[in-house]
Amino acid sequence: MQMKSDILDTLARAVIDMDIALVQKTATEVIHHKVDPYEAIMDGLAKGMDTVNELFENEEYFVPEILLCADAMYAGIEILKPYLPKESTWNKRKAVIGVVKGDTHDIGKNLVKIMLDNAGFEMCDLGRNVPYSKFIDMAGELKADLVCLSTLMTTTMDGMQVIIEDLKKAGINSRVMVGGGPISPGFAKNIGADGYAKNAAEAVKVAKGLLNNTPLDLLPFSIPKLVYIKREKGGCIQ
Amino acid sequence: MSYADEMTPKERMQAIIQGKEVDRLIVSPLILNFASRSLNLTVREFCTNGKNMGNANIACFKKYRHDIVYIFSTTSTLAEAMGTRMYFPEDDAPQVETPFIQTREDLKNLQPVTPEKDGRIPVYIEAVKRCMEAIGDDVFIVPVIGAPFTTSAALRGTEVFIKELYTDPELVHTLMKIATQSVKNLIDAYVKEGGVPATVEPVATGSMISEKHFREFVLPYLKEVYAHIHSHNLPGVLHICGKTKRVIQCMAESGADILSIDNINLQEARELVGEKVCLMGNISPADGMLKGDPEIITTMIRDCIAKASNNPKGYIVATGCEVPIKTPHENLVAFLEAGRRFAQLPINLSC
Repeated sequence: MQMKSDILDTLARAVIDMDIALVQKTATEVIHHKVDPYEAIMDGLAKGMDTVNELFENEEYFVPEILLCADAMYAGIEILKPYLPKESTWNKRKAVIGVVKGDTHDIGKNLVKIMLDNAGFEMCDLGRNVPYSKFIDMAGELKADLVCLSTLMTTTMDGMQVIIEDLKKAGINSRVMVGGGPISPGFAKNIGADGYAKNAAEAVKVAKGLLNNTPLDLLPFSIPKLVYIKREKGGCIQ
Repeated sequence: MSYADEMTPKERMQAIIQGKEVDRLIVSPLILNFASRSLNLTVREFCTNGKNMGNANIACFKKYRHDIVYIFSTTSTLAEAMGTRMYFPEDDAPQVETPFIQTREDLKNLQPVTPEKDGRIPVYIEAVKRCMEAIGDDVFIVPVIGAPFTTSAALRGTEVFIKELYTDPELVHTLMKIATQSVKNLIDAYVKEGGVPATVEPVATGSMISEKHFREFVLPYLKEVYAHIHSHNLPGVLHICGKTKRVIQCMAESGADILSIDNINLQEARELVGEKVCLMGNISPADGMLKGDPEIITTMIRDCIAKASNNPKGYIVATGCEVPIKTPHENLVAFLEAGRRFAQLPINLSC
């Protein structure tokens, strides 16, 4: 059906173009023309966001662009949500995410949340400056598949290790992924994290890898054989 | 230390500026809040009291004799003085709690700073005064100022602000103009006390915004800042941490004489902008200073000097970003010793 594919393409394109008004208008057409709302989300909005992810990876898009594309995508989801079948067949993987205690910088965390959400994870966002125990409590309560820890500061990075140890002590076997300015793959491995992602685009791949029972030594830690390890991404004085 | 210095840090810096012969390259770890450790102060005690901030930096200099003494707590100090509310952890750098500009209405109450009375700037000024009096003959005192884009982001909230590069560019320019005037006022106040102000613009890092936005929203205001610094006959220093490969050309066009850089290959930086600017960096604060050991740090220093010491416009051995407050003493000593050893001129890395 020509019209349906036009509508899906327009949704994807509007997300990529950060055009909230066009997303909203097109989402209304989805309802009007009785296009499957689930399909409109997956093959329209989310597909657009996948392209945004690629543009970010290729350094054509940066943080403002991702945030605005995500705003557009969520504006569309907001309109389509009420029309989704109540008994969702989505078997979503659950992920808890937050910025560890002592740090209030949350843009990086928000980007990862957007990307994982788009990749089909059910995200539980604990926000920023999150006490260690809250990660343990929520991961236990939700039986989370994944716990994502972020920090931009060298002063708070050691908190990640405390959380990983406490998760183990509490008998919670969620996989743990870490990232943020001062975090290196080497540090991630040393503190016992299951995965490290250098940016939001990579976070999706790492998260999927972690939950597909990929043997841990094949995960993208890829420790360089240097005496020391350079950070992939920085920005640390605040 | 095995490699004793022949010149004071100030003599060395002056000679370099005047193009005269020196004993070695400048070695300048970015000691900021770490200075609090020299008097066993918490960061909160350090950064909220001018006497503490000054005395801790004096004690720190006497202990390490590093080449530049920086006066700094957070990049948001200027925004704080203009109305942004901060959160002061017990023993860590202050962070933005509530940005001042919540709606366009709040713009009416936004004024360029009066450094003598606004926010914690008097704390910084007192710290500069104390340092000038006690150690100003031996070393340059460099108060660090959040540059216009970083200050504007802290006034508006970074996430909202960077979206407005698209959705409300007029508001962005309005904030940038007022922030730029504030930066200039602050430069004047510090220069009056004998300080040599440096500026930091980390929100404009290449991990955050595109080169196009840098050119449109950041560069014109940085040019104004460095022209102002030059009017005082002082060199312009621009620090941007994070990834800077995408924006380093713009940084070099800003009029800054020294670029302090973090996550970029120094050799690449030298090839891109070395004909125009002095480079400064980029030992890793996390993997080197905090988590590394003396051997790793020595290797890193050697590596940086090998890559950048032949930069046409000069090179300063430095950390890529702030020395973490929990950096072990022996790691900082290793930095300074390796720096002094390998930075002896002429460079001989097999020494």
